[in-house]
Amino acid sequence: MIETLRFWVIVALLGLGVLFTFVSTVGVIRLPDVYSRAHTASQTDTLGAGFALAGVAVAFGWQHAAVYTVLLLFFVFITNPTAAHAISRSAAETGVAPVLAEEGEDGDETDRDAETDGESR
Amino acid sequence: MAVERLLVPLSDTVTVRQTVGYAVQSGLEAADSLECHLVVAMPYDADVPESDRYSDDAERLLSRAQNWVEEDAGGADVTIETTTLGADEYLFGPRDYAEIFDAYADEHGIDRVVLDPEYQPGVTAQLLQPLERELDRIGLAYDEAPVDRPARRGRLDGGAEGFDRLFATFLISYGFYLLLGDPTYWFDLVTGAAVAGIVAVSLAQVTFTVPLDRVQSPLRVVRFALYIPYLLWEIVKANIAVSLVILRPSMPIEPTLTRVNSRVRSGLPLTALANSITLTPGTLTVRANNQQLLVHTLIPGARDDLFDGGLERGIRFVFYGRKSAAIASPRERDDAEIVGGDEL
Amino acid sequence: MPVPLKDVFLAAAALFVILAIMMFYRAVVGPTTQDRLLAVNVLGTNTVVILALLAAGLDQSWFLDVALIYALLNFLMSIAISKFTVERGGVL
Repeated sequence: MIETLRFWVIVALLGLGVLFTFVSTVGVIRLPDVYSRAHTASQTDTLGAGFALAGVAVAFGWQHAAVYTVLLLFFVFITNPTAAHAISRSAAETGVAPVLAEEGEDGDETDRDAETDGESR
Repeated sequence: MAVERLLVPLSDTVTVRQTVGYAVQSGLEAADSLECHLVVAMPYDADVPESDRYSDDAERLLSRAQNWVEEDAGGADVTIETTTLGADEYLFGPRDYAEIFDAYADEHGIDRVVLDPEYQPGVTAQLLQPLERELDRIGLAYDEAPVDRPARRGRLDGGAEGFDRLFATFLISYGFYLLLGDPTYWFDLVTGAAVAGIVAVSLAQVTFTVPLDRVQSPLRVVRFALYIPYLLWEIVKANIAVSLVILRPSMPIEPTLTRVNSRVRSGLPLTALANSITLTPGTLTVRANNQQLLVHTLIPGARDDLFDGGLERGIRFVFYGRKSAAIASPRERDDAEIVGGDEL
Repeated sequence: MPVPLKDVFLAAAALFVILAIMMFYRAVVGPTTQDRLLAVNVLGTNTVVILALLAAGLDQSWFLDVALIYALLNFLMSIAISKFTVERGGVL
């Protein structure tokens, strides 16, 4: 009984992990610029990896390996936003212009205008 | 004849005495009479429970410095003004300090600022270099006092603080080692202790950017553990919202750049806040300096959440306790705005 | 249990590989260096997850050590390359 429950819990967790990673992949392919893509990339880092690793942890049960998995997840949670920030910041510094919504209250800069002012360097 | 007006920002460092001495001496060389303005800039988190202690410390430091000036001046014509700055505003980073000094300098016709090389208001990390950069930008003349400073290590060894650092570093690395190894096996226990000892001795001085506090630091760890479930809940909510937008064929995204002035201190708190913001899908920190975050938001819902400042409150709760967590949201205190693409 | 638990993990790992290959599109097409870097970073996270799934699926828990190191290297690579793209000509 407990085994069957555990089985379905694992299947559900892995399914959710695959789902969110799928959404994230679709987002990275569909979205228009590097800044928006970074948003959806963080989905893989958070819930995609989170659910999948939770599934692995449940499968290992009360073992040392489960501690490892939690540690791995914690590590992914700390490093990936830092990496995402570094990437988007490097995009900003090298003058990659963001595509912004046209109806923003005062941020209605179209990407065409902003394309030229690749300031910084 | 001419009066030289000097502004001397004070903080409780090992070199503050020499800085005051230099200020008086150089001031008297430049002119016959000297007007010496001694100021203590209050750190911005004067709203936390220790605020009384801060202002008491400031008063004591000022009266001590006043004695020093009188001592060094001898019979020369020296006027002393003492004051505390920034008690009712939020001083966050070097820019705020530079601006408040500039405002004071304008008001009192200050000629020159004399800086203590170890200047360190509050408990933040070293501020001198960024402060000098900001003063350059504003165009306020400054002068760094030439002091012989005791070797920095001298301040740390022997003191309880040095021990705390060593102990905390040792504990963290030993814990991590045993987490990876097997805590019941004697070999891992012994090698772990050796490795953690080496790590503690060699890296304890650089591990922590703020002084440790025996009560506050463990408390912060506990509060951080409480913050994690909240962060996870926010992440799940944001993930679902972003997923719905991305999977819809029309993809109704509304990317905007926003600037938010956060009310957490530079260093670890700001890093934690910026990382939490990035970790939540829909908001992405593009730049973070001087408490100013440039955040790219993907959908209006995420932007509203950001302007409501839930994560900021969480971080304030982690680092400053429950009382300081209850502050107005960035939207209410007018610290959040939508900016154009050329802000990058 | 309709199928063995191991097969579930291996199937999930296979799905993650397919998603990683889809992500490869962005790494190849770009257009900017940062786009590629971002895609490779996400690929790295995927790889970490795949390694963890294989650890469970093949019952080789030491795969997790590899995953941990891979996560470390992935982070360092992203930081190093994004720093390099800004300071071209500098030595990181």
